[in-house]
Amino acid sequence: MIVSPSPHLHSSLSTRRLMADVIIALLPAVILSCLLYGWKELFLLGVSIVSCVGVEYLINRFLLKKPCSVGDLSAVVTAVLLALNVPVSCPWWVLTIGAIFAIGVVKMTFGGLGQNIFNPAIAARVFLLLSFPTAMTSWDYIPTGLFGSVDAVSGPTLLGLVAEQGLDSVAGLDWKHLLINTCGGSAGELSALALIAGFVYLLARKVIKPWITLSILGTVAIFALVYALVAQPAMGVGAFVAFHLLSGGLLLGSIFMATDYVTSPMSDWGGVVYGVGIGLLTMLIRCFGAYPEGVSFAILIMNMVVPLINKGFHQRKYGRA
Amino acid sequence: MKKTFKIGGVHPNDSKISASCKIEKLPLPKTVYVSMAQHLGAPANPVVAVGDSVKTGQVIAEPAGFISAFVHSPATGIVKSIAPRQDLAGNWMNHIEIAVAEEEVWAEGIDVSPEIVTEIPADTAFIVNRIKSNGVVGLGGATFPTHVKLCPPPGKKADCLILNGAECEPYLTSDNRIMIERSQEILIGAALMQKVLGGCPAVVGIEDNKPEAIKAMSTALDALKAKSSDYSGIRIQILKKKYPQGGEKQLIAAVMKREVKSMGLPIDVGAVVQNVATSLAVYEAVQKNMPLITNTMTITGDCLPQERQHNYLFRIGMPLSYIAEYAGGVPQEAAKIVSGGPMMGKAIANMDACTVKGSSSLLYLTEKQTRRKAESNCIRCGKCADACPMGLEPFLLNKCAKNGLMDELEQYSVQDCIECGCCLYTCPANIPLLDVIRLAKGDVIKIIRARAAAQKK
Repeated sequence: MIVSPSPHLHSSLSTRRLMADVIIALLPAVILSCLLYGWKELFLLGVSIVSCVGVEYLINRFLLKKPCSVGDLSAVVTAVLLALNVPVSCPWWVLTIGAIFAIGVVKMTFGGLGQNIFNPAIAARVFLLLSFPTAMTSWDYIPTGLFGSVDAVSGPTLLGLVAEQGLDSVAGLDWKHLLINTCGGSAGELSALALIAGFVYLLARKVIKPWITLSILGTVAIFALVYALVAQPAMGVGAFVAFHLLSGGLLLGSIFMATDYVTSPMSDWGGVVYGVGIGLLTMLIRCFGAYPEGVSFAILIMNMVVPLINKGFHQRKYGRA
Repeated sequence: MKKTFKIGGVHPNDSKISASCKIEKLPLPKTVYVSMAQHLGAPANPVVAVGDSVKTGQVIAEPAGFISAFVHSPATGIVKSIAPRQDLAGNWMNHIEIAVAEEEVWAEGIDVSPEIVTEIPADTAFIVNRIKSNGVVGLGGATFPTHVKLCPPPGKKADCLILNGAECEPYLTSDNRIMIERSQEILIGAALMQKVLGGCPAVVGIEDNKPEAIKAMSTALDALKAKSSDYSGIRIQILKKKYPQGGEKQLIAAVMKREVKSMGLPIDVGAVVQNVATSLAVYEAVQKNMPLITNTMTITGDCLPQERQHNYLFRIGMPLSYIAEYAGGVPQEAAKIVSGGPMMGKAIANMDACTVKGSSSLLYLTEKQTRRKAESNCIRCGKCADACPMGLEPFLLNKCAKNGLMDELEQYSVQDCIECGCCLYTCPANIPLLDVIRLAKGDVIKIIRARAAAQKK
């Protein structure tokens, strides 16, 4: 007979299940990018997964001599995010280097899952951007976008186009043709709809709470609105706001990377502060900075502030109002 | 409108497999062993000697302090020994061993007739005295002496008596059954306690997964209201199912929308919470002069077929092994036997232990259900903090405890932990949060008490 302290049951929630849910939530974006970019995208995804899982396995096996942790699927999540963060034209070995950096340096050096300060995929993306600027910013399909040299953003996504011109404008077009010709960016930036579908799935499965994502998007929207009212861009105020919300890495970043459990605040209000910070930094970099896209930098910078936010913000306690 | 508490909580599968099993009376074994620690507080002092013959319901032990309670003989027979014996956790405690006689003789003054007495006595001192002399203690788990709880300290007044019929623990169905089968008596018990508390309103909180109990209680309440105005201040409140709704603090928040301050008592916010089983015991004690020697327990588990699920009316002092044997033996698949619910109950280490006033179940869990999985890294998902009904941050307390940071533990309110198990139940990394926090809580409370004592000097 087993004798142990209560509780005697467990919810059967597991790290693996949570990570599997994140992977499922990423599937719409993954499938769409594979449909659009074809075998090359699938190949990059495969390289990324094999590299990330392989690096974690090798480090566990030979360096740390600890039980293997790849079964928790967190390396796969990092791998998929990393693959969605590079252009389809990127050479495969750049991804492998990114995987070594993400898992080997950003994650395992700090003690593995749960111990890292930075989101591994975001840190690796920035690392690759600084190390291989050409590979990370050249696009097979669309060379230019509104922000000039394209780090992440090139044109409005499908949702942006629909928002601007109405559904009729896309009704008669060949979908593939339309998407390729009007959208650009790395795989994960392709379709706002696919990413939002993933967001809804994560919320429905109670994997994440909406506060971080919503506060990022809200801050970006308000910033863009104020900026547009002052600067009066040619595309119009509403379109400018929609464009900033739906383009670039903002949705991918705010839904899948900023909400990373390990590197985001523990409390709801802490999450809001963190989200507002990311939104502000993103827009400051986009509108006034040297880089066309700022989501990655914003998330990395706010990752550093998380311990401080955790000190200042706690959940509401019972009987301490 | 259904109510529930706001902060935290979890939704385990309620597994009320035995909900439809009628209460059956367990026959007495040949020997009973009555523990002197039937209640919270000081163990009672035996007042019988070896060789004495005792009647059923006769006092066999007296309270040994303010927070203590009378113990009565559950059987007619001869006292064989007064000696230490192990309880279900394996701790040694004085027990009175009684060899049970063939024929049952009740002590004088006890009304064993089945008639229901609905008139409420006018004399509150009489009611309190009956509750005290018949050894009534809280049957919701804590077994705190009921008469103490019904006499608020000077300057504090009860605004509401809450009857706890939430039975939020999975598997347990004994409260459900008494609410169905003994509804009138429970409500009369409530009216008696209302009287003692100065006529405050009473609310019976029942979770919505017990529709039969809600119906039976409502019907009984209507019948009583039609009979006498004594029952006009009682109402039934349906609660949305959520664990740990039956926790005193959570139930107060759900029903009254008030929160008890840290280290405070329910009476501080004008609440008195009593379990429905306690209310039944109060009825029997006051209206029938019947001491608390019986209670209801559930025999259940997924590994038992439907026909082997039971709700038993047991007497105190029955060996658990006897009850298990009577119910058809311990199933082979059982890897853990729990006394109480699966969230807060105790794993039984010793089946020779005997029932006490607060016994509530024999729950058989399989290895698959109950074996703890290997702990992995905390992924900082914060699900433990979302689950905590006290709004604490178990991940943080766990870290502070492992590093011996006593000041931080107190600052982050480890002393408020109610040990409901929601954190450990939820943790996707299988970190034994509550195991660690429970120990730290004990240490911090010791520090707080020592500091208060030092300040007094």
